[in-house]
Amino acid sequence: MIGKDKLYTTLEKVMANSKADQTEAVFLGSSTGLTRFANTHIHQNVAENNTTVYFRVAIGKKLGVASTTSMSLTDLKRCLRAATDIAKRQVENPHFDRFPEAQDYPEAETYFEKTARFSPKQRASKLKRIFSKTINNNFDAAGAFTTGGGEVAVLNSNGLRAYQPYSTASGNIVIMGDDSSGYVNFVSHNIDDLDFAALSNTALQKCKKTKKPKEIEPGKYEVILEPAAVANLLEWMNFIAFGSKAFQEETSCLAGRVGEQIMGQNISIYDDALNPAGVAFPFDLEGVAKKKVDFVSDGVANGVVYDTISANKENKQSSGHAIMPDESGEGAMPMNVFIKPGNSSLDQMIANVEHGILVTRFHYINGYLDTRKALMTGMTRDGTFLIKNGKLSGGIKNLRFTDSMLDVFSHVAEISSESVSIPGWWNALGCNRVPAMRVSEFNFSGKTDF
Amino acid sequence: MKDKLLEAIDYLKSKGVNYADIRFSRQEVESIKVTNENVDTLSRTLDQGFGIRVLANGAWGFASSSKLTAGELKKVSNQALKIAQASAITKREDVKLDEGIVYNDHYITPLEKDPFKVRLSRKINMLMKINQTLQKKPEIKIAESSMAFFKTNKIFVNTDGSFIEQDLMESGAGYAATAVEGGEVQRRSFPNSHGGDFMTGGFEIIENMGLQKNANRVREEAIQLLTAPPLPAGEADIIIGASQMALQIHESCGHPTELDRVLGTEISLAGGSFITLDKVGQLQYGSDKVTIVHDAACPGGLGTFGYDDEGVKAQRMPLVENGRFVNYLTSRETAGVVGQNSNGCMRADGWNRIPLIRMTNINLEPGEWELDDLIADTEGGYYVDTNKSWSIDDKRLNFQFGLEAAWEIKNGRLKTMYKNPLYTGITPQFWNSCDAVCNKNHWHIWGVANCGKGEPMQIAHVAHGTSPARFRNIQVGVSK
Repeated sequence: MIGKDKLYTTLEKVMANSKADQTEAVFLGSSTGLTRFANTHIHQNVAENNTTVYFRVAIGKKLGVASTTSMSLTDLKRCLRAATDIAKRQVENPHFDRFPEAQDYPEAETYFEKTARFSPKQRASKLKRIFSKTINNNFDAAGAFTTGGGEVAVLNSNGLRAYQPYSTASGNIVIMGDDSSGYVNFVSHNIDDLDFAALSNTALQKCKKTKKPKEIEPGKYEVILEPAAVANLLEWMNFIAFGSKAFQEETSCLAGRVGEQIMGQNISIYDDALNPAGVAFPFDLEGVAKKKVDFVSDGVANGVVYDTISANKENKQSSGHAIMPDESGEGAMPMNVFIKPGNSSLDQMIANVEHGILVTRFHYINGYLDTRKALMTGMTRDGTFLIKNGKLSGGIKNLRFTDSMLDVFSHVAEISSESVSIPGWWNALGCNRVPAMRVSEFNFSGKTDF
Repeated sequence: MKDKLLEAIDYLKSKGVNYADIRFSRQEVESIKVTNENVDTLSRTLDQGFGIRVLANGAWGFASSSKLTAGELKKVSNQALKIAQASAITKREDVKLDEGIVYNDHYITPLEKDPFKVRLSRKINMLMKINQTLQKKPEIKIAESSMAFFKTNKIFVNTDGSFIEQDLMESGAGYAATAVEGGEVQRRSFPNSHGGDFMTGGFEIIENMGLQKNANRVREEAIQLLTAPPLPAGEADIIIGASQMALQIHESCGHPTELDRVLGTEISLAGGSFITLDKVGQLQYGSDKVTIVHDAACPGGLGTFGYDDEGVKAQRMPLVENGRFVNYLTSRETAGVVGQNSNGCMRADGWNRIPLIRMTNINLEPGEWELDDLIADTEGGYYVDTNKSWSIDDKRLNFQFGLEAAWEIKNGRLKTMYKNPLYTGITPQFWNSCDAVCNKNHWHIWGVANCGKGEPMQIAHVAHGTSPARFRNIQVGVSK
């Protein structure tokens, strides 16, 4: 960790040399360790100490971005000059006005020293206990376990100063037998939030209960989607539906439909980066304070997230969802997405299914089939159960689904009151916080051999 | 840098490690993207640092840093050593490497024009002009054109005595026209979807792509798709265009032949493989028309290099020979399982990542057919091309691909255009239904610059040499 004061001093010293009209510096630093395991032993164990500084400068409405991993003053100054050279050769961006103004940020508890300093030996020790349990059951364990810390700083020539340290603990556990497997994943800023015995037991029980899977024919089934499966679908919705680019280019299923009922009345989906139940973070990579954004409220399409440039296109304010400066052409993206819980429980949902399927997670979803319909395909994986007469009735071989998420989220019959944080693509600075769901109709279009 | 790296290797030797290697990498990337005549991405990034991989007490440790000082090299060496010791807590047996060959060499990507020396204004103008052509009709709501260039300097040293430097250059470009009307969104891309096509080499690659001359056709096809009927569901013979064949090989042959997946070490994220160890030399993976090779040395491929990131020289080896599965993609650690030495597939996407078994150039050998003759030889079916979506199960058996466009083939001629085509299958059944592959006149090596694998996620640049091929009785149009 470099620390706020030293970072501000270093970057301000460099920015003082800027020849541009406006200058922005974004610092991302991290020191993380990741332990991967398979066949019930650690096979990859890595550490990374990394820093990246992005300079984004504006000459009039011309923007240039350059970045470096070096923190030497000479390299930082060179990087700033490169950004300025690029801006000079750019064409004007009609949607750019100015970098954000200085602002206040809400308090967010994002850094836990123990998590940031969790050592490889401590990770190995946690895993060793899981391995013992796995070996005792004649299964194999695989997965990944990350711990570490980092810091994010944003400074600009309008006086904006934002700094936040964070820690992260995340990963997944797969317990495997000859013909069955179980899965669980986890994420938190604080390692003490994670109960590894309970997590690994969940994966272990799934593996035990799905032995000798039966083959069933594809078709329309009632399904229960556990939180990991819901998050897998939501992750793609974030990408194809809830970002500013997809909305403005009219490829999103929300485009042109704001105010319309597009999902069931029991579905509300929103980004809430300050909610401590998720993986909170107070500002985006332009230093704009995060705001809560409703995507779908009681089934009605509401809106999407914005950064400053995409917001300007619609005369709106940024919602605080800018991504990396060199990827700003991709628009704003949600990172802390919630689905409003219901009042049911997983057990109650299972009891309410006469003939259906419980899905633990999906694999290799693709949501590009028809983004206006949010049509997706993917496979089930690591714990797919048949439900008969209100009870889990053993494992089934995996199935391929092809379905529109607008249809799926219009057929949600029950939602659990309990939600779980599932790591997202941006797991260090966000997550998907979701409940389990019972969906009355879900289309499986194919099957596989295991 | 060379002296610092050698000093650190000597330090690790003095610590009695079983093996160690250090990779320094310095990568510059220039990205330009023009959307609707607005340059919305224009950036240059510099990413440099080193990674140290240590095998100690029979287990692996890896640590990396972006701070390039002798003190940091020593600190990170100790960190990697400690991590290896932590890994050893749960080891079941010692990691063993193949014997390895010591190299002292410098590999440089052959190129004609350094893309970093080509004026930015020229690149922007090229992309702008394409945008303008695509936007000539109001139905095109999104015109996107992009270029990217990657310049990488890598130095590899190991305790065996190798010292290898590589200067790699990659260049690529592409564009897409998206037509939107009512609730319909349709896209056509050139020369490929998902960012275009990439190769190792310089700006001459961009100049030879025929970007501008295809823009009118691409725009018109995107507009035609708005009113095209959807591909009907059913069984049909299909001819798959070369760029989609690249992704078909990637997902259903490239990934399942990675030996680390077969051995279960990627199971939690990417999954395993249906090509288990008992299938070497036994599995009839495809028909006798299908020969697929791993060729890291073929000119221009995005997976072309001098040495992999374990210091193993680039090589060529068949994976599938006349339909029979014969070899995996391997590393120094895994090759012994199949009684071989590494065939040089270990690659990392930067200094801060460990090398994993990755595809190189995984190429379908050309067959004998001219494309026109193959279409003429097909009584009924579809010609499908340009990937839109991809999905495959975690053992790489059940796959489903969505494409940008399809054309009906009737009595040997291309007819009606269809939108939203999909096809699906089970890998060995699918490849065994291949009865024709087009010849070298239609063969191109397609760059895939977004191959994800590993945790933390690594994005590899790989390639697939392909030509169009015909498959019989394939399930098509399997949407809801």
